[in-house]
Amino acid sequence: MRPRTKGLVAAGSGVAVGLAGLALSALPAGADEDPVLPEIGAEQLVASVLEARPPAFDGVAEVRNELGLPAVPGMEALDFQTVRVFHDGEENARVQVEREASELTLVKTASEAWAYDSQEHTAKHLTWDDADAAAAREHAEREHAEGELADPSRAAAEIIERLRPTSDIFVDGTATVADRAAYELVLTPKPSEKTLLREITVAVDEETRVPLRLDVFANGRTEPVLSLGFVDFELGAQDAELFEFTPPEGAEVETMEAGDAASLSGRHGDRDAAGSGERGTAGLEEPATVGDGWDTVVIGDVPADAPLDGPGESADEYGQDVSGLLAQLGRPVSGEFGTGTHLQTAVGGAVVTSDGRIAAGAVPLQVLLDALDAQ
Amino acid sequence: MTARGPVAAQQPMTPQEPGGVSSVTLPARRRVPMARLLRAEVRWIFRRPRTLAVLALLAVLPVITGVAVDLTMDGPVTPGHSGPGPGPGGGPPIFVTMVTSAFVLPLGSLMTLLMLLLPLTVAMASGDALAGEQSHGALRGWLLAPVARGRLLAVKAAGVLVVAFVASALVVVSGLLTGLVLAGTDGLVSMSGTELSVGDVLWRLGVAVAWATLYLTAIGAVALAVSATTEHPMLVVVGVLGGLIVSGVLMQISALDWLHPYLLPTSVTGLVDLIRDPVPFGGLAEGAFRALCYLLIGLSLAYASITTRDG
Repeated sequence: MRPRTKGLVAAGSGVAVGLAGLALSALPAGADEDPVLPEIGAEQLVASVLEARPPAFDGVAEVRNELGLPAVPGMEALDFQTVRVFHDGEENARVQVEREASELTLVKTASEAWAYDSQEHTAKHLTWDDADAAAAREHAEREHAEGELADPSRAAAEIIERLRPTSDIFVDGTATVADRAAYELVLTPKPSEKTLLREITVAVDEETRVPLRLDVFANGRTEPVLSLGFVDFELGAQDAELFEFTPPEGAEVETMEAGDAASLSGRHGDRDAAGSGERGTAGLEEPATVGDGWDTVVIGDVPADAPLDGPGESADEYGQDVSGLLAQLGRPVSGEFGTGTHLQTAVGGAVVTSDGRIAAGAVPLQVLLDALDAQ
Repeated sequence: MTARGPVAAQQPMTPQEPGGVSSVTLPARRRVPMARLLRAEVRWIFRRPRTLAVLALLAVLPVITGVAVDLTMDGPVTPGHSGPGPGPGGGPPIFVTMVTSAFVLPLGSLMTLLMLLLPLTVAMASGDALAGEQSHGALRGWLLAPVARGRLLAVKAAGVLVVAFVASALVVVSGLLTGLVLAGTDGLVSMSGTELSVGDVLWRLGVAVAWATLYLTAIGAVALAVSATTEHPMLVVVGVLGGLIVSGVLMQISALDWLHPYLLPTSVTGLVDLIRDPVPFGGLAEGAFRALCYLLIGLSLAYASITTRDG
């Protein structure tokens, strides 16, 4: 070969290799063959999921959210794409919700929970003693709903536990999630349930019985409205330092005892203007639920710092008139409870009443109105 | 400019000089040692006033950023005094108390400058390396000297690599020193709320410099490919600028998200991960791999056009 030809051949193959590399990195993770696993009954699988202790592992999960709006009052919309999860196989867990330029870090141990938000440079600290551990734990989970929901293994187990009585459950083959063999568990609402959801599928790791992926499907859509699952899952002991948290210097720390939290909940919302500046206490309102299972409606109070009655004492500095905004997004409804605005989302809806309550659920409007009337 | 090429490299080698490569292809010609060619090339790059001017600008920008933020900030902002916190656009800006820290300032400056100014610096060096020398006949000297064209390209690429490294190291060091002067060792906090030791910060900044060097060298390789086909260094800079702008526009269009992994600037956001703790290396690794692919493509094209060219 003449040198010139040789040079061209070398260059051509170099370009080809480079382009192949780019194409390789652009490809989505290969859809593997479904693994072959021993048969298992649905009930048995559900029982083993609920009994399984999460092993020591770390993982990276990704979320695809078509919901558009938060589904539950008091819960933030899942505005992140990636979350990192660390469990030590005991009581301790660390969840890091990665947003584009900030992070929400949750560290939970047997006796305390921390939530640090780097966007606002604030840390919430919740402690409890053994006596009220269960209540406090539940409370901590509500307080840090976004972080709890972000951990697929916890979120899916929670959903299975809640929806089990009102669902038809079956195992629909197998799948590979984060390079691990998993069973596909499918939950569909029983005919008695008045819900807008069609089904929820949970991929359960065959070896550890940890839920690896959660897909929520709504009526009339083929794509999941919410998909949350691990893309990377490694079993193995975790560094103990991960589960210790000291808030950084200069962060605003808000400490609560579980006892205080419990006494605050159940208080019913007289929205007095004096208390409207205190964030945090408003968030402690325990939302009431009406119904159970798929058509649960959650009724809570609008956070006190959202001015629904026009600009006033607590008008926010951006000058947004929230009630005006609501009127644009939703349509007015009325019933025995008074008047309000109905907002429709992909998987349900919410009614914001003019007296500052929110009712929300994955249900048609009529169910929301009935729930408000019943309250 | 007069037609002065790297004259040192063109001197025929004196026999007693060590370091010559022994694999002699032509009996009449001895190969010039690579090290000497490189030295000459680097000296040549850093003798250009425009290189020095742009490096000075790069060194000053982090200082300006840090001082400006420091002056406009009236004490640490606490969310308690800033009205309602959360919500879209609510709350104080990210890390408002940390922007001037010795950790966030260098990384932030590097990310900002990687958008435009650093790539243009490298494009300028690439444009001068081949097109510029071609335009005033200096390349001819290279090709007459016993330098094979592949080695010529290797030397030029190494020169671009040096520029990329010096430019990104300068930005990071300047940001680090500014941060140390303004905030001392306060505010060395990761986004995950953990305090970082000085050692932690230094290795993260080291990774940032290495990664930025690779990224910029990839841009430089593409620029060399353009540079090898033209006599106008300006065209190279314009080409890189155009490529960056087009990529930026395409990255804004979410309907084209299948295309985004093919675009080099997609990688830059991976640097944010260095502020997290523990550092997730996935994004950075993916960006590095993408940069390597671009590097290979750019150098191959440059090699093709330089070997098929008539000296």
